Amino acid sequence: MADFVQLVILGLLAGGIYVAVGVGFSLVWGVLNIVNLAHGALVIVGGYITWQLFAALHIDPFLTLPVDAVALFVLGYALQRGVINRIIRAPLLFTFLLTFGVNLVIVNILLLIFGSDYRSVTPAYSGQGLELGTIVIPYVPVISLGVAILLATLLALVLNRTRIGLAISAIAADRDAAQLVGIDLRHAYAVTYGLGAACAGVAGGLIAMIQAVTPTAGEPYTLQAFVVVILGGLGRVSATVVGGLAFGLVEAFGQSIPGSGSVFANAIAFGLMVIVLVTRPQGLLGRLR
Amino acid sequence: MKVRMLAWLAMAGLAVAACGSSSSGQSGSPIVLGAPLGLTGALTKESTLTQQGYNLWLDWINRQGGIVVNGVKHPVTIKYYDDTSNANQSAVLMQKLITEDKANFLLGPYGSAATATDAAIAEQNQIPMVEANGAAQAIFNQGYKYTFGVLSPANKYLEGVIDMAATLNPKPTTIAMLSADDNFSLEVANAINGYAPSKGMQVILFKKYKNGSTNLTAEVQAAKAVNPDILLNSGHLTEAIAINKAAKEQKLNAKIFAYSVGPSTPDFITALGKDANYVYDGSQWTPQVKYKPDFYLSVSDYVAAYKAKYPGLGNPDYHVAESTAACLALQRAIEKANSLDPNKVRDALAALDVTVFFGQIKFDSRGINIYKPMVVEQIQNGVHHTVYPADVADAQAMYPTPSWDQR
Repeated sequence: MADFVQLVILGLLAGGIYVAVGVGFSLVWGVLNIVNLAHGALVIVGGYITWQLFAALHIDPFLTLPVDAVALFVLGYALQRGVINRIIRAPLLFTFLLTFGVNLVIVNILLLIFGSDYRSVTPAYSGQGLELGTIVIPYVPVISLGVAILLATLLALVLNRTRIGLAISAIAADRDAAQLVGIDLRHAYAVTYGLGAACAGVAGGLIAMIQAVTPTAGEPYTLQAFVVVILGGLGRVSATVVGGLAFGLVEAFGQSIPGSGSVFANAIAFGLMVIVLVTRPQGLLGRLR
Repeated sequence: MKVRMLAWLAMAGLAVAACGSSSSGQSGSPIVLGAPLGLTGALTKESTLTQQGYNLWLDWINRQGGIVVNGVKHPVTIKYYDDTSNANQSAVLMQKLITEDKANFLLGPYGSAATATDAAIAEQNQIPMVEANGAAQAIFNQGYKYTFGVLSPANKYLEGVIDMAATLNPKPTTIAMLSADDNFSLEVANAINGYAPSKGMQVILFKKYKNGSTNLTAEVQAAKAVNPDILLNSGHLTEAIAINKAAKEQKLNAKIFAYSVGPSTPDFITALGKDANYVYDGSQWTPQVKYKPDFYLSVSDYVAAYKAKYPGLGNPDYHVAESTAACLALQRAIEKANSLDPNKVRDALAALDVTVFFGQIKFDSRGINIYKPMVVEQIQNGVHHTVYPADVADAQAMYPTPSWDQR
C-alpha cells in the first residue's frame, strides 16, 4: 500500500513538469495552430538561464524563474514577429519545417555558448524531502508541481481576465472575425507565442533542478508536450493540467511494471493517447470546436 | 618579371620533387585516416573527447615526421566528418571517407551503435577500422575481419566492481540492477547476472528502462523496495545523474552505488556536487594506472601532454585515453606490416601484442581486446581515485557508503 501511495506521489510530481512544459505548447497550438517543434529548445534555454544565474551569482533557482519567463517572453515575441509570422497562414507542413529549423538553430547556438557539458542546478536543499513513515516527498519536485499549477493558473487568468488575453481567445475562436473587430493580429500572435515561450522558460528552470541539461536535452520534451496536450485536450489550460498529471501517473505505473516494464512506459502513454483520440478526440477535458 | 618568378618557382618545385624521390628518410605521401564523429547532437560530449584523443596522437606522430614505412616517413592527416550522433549517418560518412577522401585506414566513431554500422562498411570495403568507443560484443560477434577494438568489452564494465565488492567487509550480497535497453548496456548488465553468483552475490532486482530516460524515480523506488547492498546502473551519463538524484530524494541507502558509464566524466561531479561522492564506476583507464609502455608516452607524460594541449579541462578521462590507444595500435600495425596495403595492416593488427600507457593491446580472434583489465574508480571528496585492483590503486575504497542523512 505504501509503495502504491509513493508511486502515485512520484507520478504526480513528475506530472508537474509535464504540466509546465505542456501549457505553453498547448497555447501556441490552440491559438496559432502551430505545432511548435522548437518548444523543447525554448525549455532548455530557460534551463540554461537558471543554471547560469545559479552557478555565477548563486541565486536560488526558484527565484530565477521570473527571469526565465521574461527573457523567454522577449525571445518568443521576437521569434514570432520576425520569423514565424511569415508563414502563419501557410499549410501545417511549413510550420513544422520552420519550427524544426528554429529548434536546430537554438540547439546549436546553445552548443556554441555552453558546449555539450552536462549542467545541473543543485541547491543545498536538493534531494531533501519530507518523510512520512516510509513515504518520501522530495521538496524540489513538490515545489515544482506547485509552480506548475501556479503557472497554469496565471496563464488562465491572463487569457480570461485581461484585454490581450480575451483578444487571444477571440483569435482562437475565429481569426477573421477577430481581425474584423479591430484586433491587431500580428501583436496578439506575437504575445501568444511569447507567453508560450515564457511558460517553456519556467519549465526549463524547473527541469534544470531535476535533471542535468545539455543543449539537446529538450527534444523529448517537445514530444511529451504533444502527448500531454492530446491527452488533456486543446483549448483549455485546465485540460493541459489534467493531461500532464495523467501522463506523469501513466509513466510512473508503466515504469513500475516488473522486469522490462519501463521500456514500455512510453508505449503505454502513446497507446493511451491513441485510445483517447479514438474515443474522445477532443481530449479528456477538451471542448469540441 | 612575373614569368621569371614563375620559372624560378617551377625549378624550385622540380628540385624538391627530385630530392623527394631520390633519397630515403624524406617524407612520403601522407597517410589519410578517416573518422566520423558526433560533433553535434546527443553524443557531442563523448565524441569531442574521442577527437581530443585522436588529435593528441596526431600532433605527436607528425612531430616525429610521421609513420615509418620502408624507411620513409609518411605524415598523417585525420579527416573528420560530423555524423550528428546518428549511426546511419556515420556509416554513410564512412563510405564517403573511403570512396571520396581515399582514406587509407579508419578510426572508429563514438558509441557502440555507430561502431556497429561503421564496422559493416569497413568490412565491405576491406579497410581496417581501429576503434576505441564501441564495447558491445555484438559488434565483434558478426565474424568481421577488419574491425579492431582496443577497449575491454562490455561484459567487463561492472565485473570489476563485483570483484572489488567480494574483497570488502562486511561483504555485500544483494544487487539491484537498473539497465538501459540499448545493446551495450544490456550486455554490461546481463554479464553481471551470470557473474555475481560466482562471487557469492545475487541479483535480486533487474529492471530495464528506456535508453536516455531522465525520469527514473519509479525505477529507483522499485530498487528501494528490495533494499539492496549494491545499486548498479548500466547506462550512460544522463541516466547515472538521474538515478543518483532520485536515490538521494527517496533515501535509497545502499552500501555501494556503482554506475557503468558516467561517474568517470568530470560532468558527473560538477552536476551533482558532493552527492557524487562515494560513487564507483568501472573505467577503461585512469590517470593513476601503472603500465610500462613499449612506445609512445608514459602515463604521467600522457596526462601532462593532454593538459598542455587542452588546458583547463583537468585530467584526460578514459574516452580520451582509449582513443589515443586506437591510433597507437594502428600506427604499430602499419610499422609492423611495413606497408600501406590494407590487408597486410589488417594481418599485423590481428597479430599485434603491445603495451602502451593505456595497457596491453591484443585482440582475440573476433577483434576485441579481452586482455586488458578494467579498473574501478571511486569519487572521494570530489576527486576520482582508483581503488581496484590493488596493484594499480592509489586509494582505499571508502566503504560502506554512509546513509544520505549522515553525509
